Amino acid sequence: MVSDLVLLPQFLTNGLVIGSGYVLVAVGLTLIFGILHIVNFAHGEFYMLGGFAAVLGSQLLGLPALPTLLVVAVVMAAFGLVVERVVFRPLGGKDPTNAIIASFGLSVLLQNLMLKTVGAEPMAVKSGFAPGAIQIGNVFITAERIAIVAAMAVIVAALLLVLRYTWTGRALRSLSENPTVALISGVNVRRVSLITFVIGSVLAGLSGALMSTVFMVQPNSGALIVMKAFIIVVVAGMGSIEGAIIVGLALGLIESLVAGYMGNELRDIVGFLIVILVLAVRPQGLFGLKTERS
Amino acid sequence: MLECTNVDAGYGKVMILHDLNLTVRQGQLSAILGSNGSGKSTALKTLAGLVTPVKGQITLDGKRIDGLPANAMTEHGMCLVPQGKEVLAGMSVEENILIGAFHRRKDKSGIAEDLDRVYSQFPRLKVRRKAAAGVLSGGERQMLSLGRALMSRPKLLLLDEPSAALAPKVVGEISDILRGLRETGLTMLLVEQNVSMAVELAEEIHILREGRIAHSRLNGPDFDTSDLKAYYLGSGA
Repeated sequence: MVSDLVLLPQFLTNGLVIGSGYVLVAVGLTLIFGILHIVNFAHGEFYMLGGFAAVLGSQLLGLPALPTLLVVAVVMAAFGLVVERVVFRPLGGKDPTNAIIASFGLSVLLQNLMLKTVGAEPMAVKSGFAPGAIQIGNVFITAERIAIVAAMAVIVAALLLVLRYTWTGRALRSLSENPTVALISGVNVRRVSLITFVIGSVLAGLSGALMSTVFMVQPNSGALIVMKAFIIVVVAGMGSIEGAIIVGLALGLIESLVAGYMGNELRDIVGFLIVILVLAVRPQGLFGLKTERS
Repeated sequence: MLECTNVDAGYGKVMILHDLNLTVRQGQLSAILGSNGSGKSTALKTLAGLVTPVKGQITLDGKRIDGLPANAMTEHGMCLVPQGKEVLAGMSVEENILIGAFHRRKDKSGIAEDLDRVYSQFPRLKVRRKAAAGVLSGGERQMLSLGRALMSRPKLLLLDEPSAALAPKVVGEISDILRGLRETGLTMLLVEQNVSMAVELAEEIHILREGRIAHSRLNGPDFDTSDLKAYYLGSGA
């Protein structure tokens, strides 16, 4: 057990990096689960596919970092579009259990498809950045890790701007608030649902791509991250994007501190303890407060 | 303007409307009255595209529109102000109003003009334009719901019990607003349980009973509400 406070800035930095990955994947799940109410257990596989799309861009096509992310975004947008149309739209309006089971099936299918195609060996995404860590005070950090935090900040800021200031963003928020009002206001709910699903898929894929520069990618990379994403969405409050950002970062920081000071084996337990506690005390989540007049 | 012919509609296998026949004329404010469970709200939801008819046809200005989704109905000029003063609680008052103009979002100058008009019709909304819609009072929510619908530039406004659960003073304000809209020539179809409000405003009254129009008559100075009771209670012809 390490109790030295000298390491605190390093733990916090590590937590910020992990938390940034969580934020992207959880904001994506907030759109799909929190707004469209699709319980998508294959969201972790979207993350994993993003990692492999980045391998395709960086390794096979030899692209630098930004064009690789563009490839990931395009591949995941196309993938999200097909999945929404083929898997989830036909199940819309029916018993939600159907979609849950379909998402489990999709998860198994995607994992095994990748196992068959690329094998079980972990693969690294080459960022093209200079190797070695940069030292800032007591903190050591690689360029890839800085890029994860920076990319998360840019992507999330862009998403928030789109949500607040564009018609598509307003339509998406109206759908989140009250689908009937959205519909009678002239919002094409089917189209906006598709756009929402696609954005959610792209965010998961980008998270997978960015995180794979540090942690590598393999067919089962998404298995744990999907549970973390559900924890974040539920703790934040269904549909709360700002909440998912805060809780995602907080979970990354808490996990890092727990791993550093209490033992690495406790890292993956802490999130589940938090979600149980929050659900007992505040079932609507920390940021799930509705401004309803009593 | 609106022709509804032999429409059957309901939820799943339960049919609520049976051979519904209804005509709304251009520039007219028509009202549908009926007791609880008579199918008033289902009739409006069917016209608004929220419930799909299983039989019959609906035409607006001669164009067949039955079976279209609700967003397409709004694009065609038929907009619903739903029961329950439904608003987008977490969004600002101004965002709530603007979303009503979604289908004509490229018309920036027209939307700005209409927003000013809505604010002049509902000054309280202008004062509270940055507030979250969820904190508005019942009356303010109803005004917001109306303002949002007006932003779609409707040809026909469908109003589902706009006076429900409101204080008498606020009901008076809503009546004044509807009267003002009637003066502008806007065609409206009003569903109400508040008979005195409907009789005061409407030019034609339809009585709905068990999903059918049981009686229709034009309103006028000699209109006697006493026979409405008979239709409400089921003894009318």
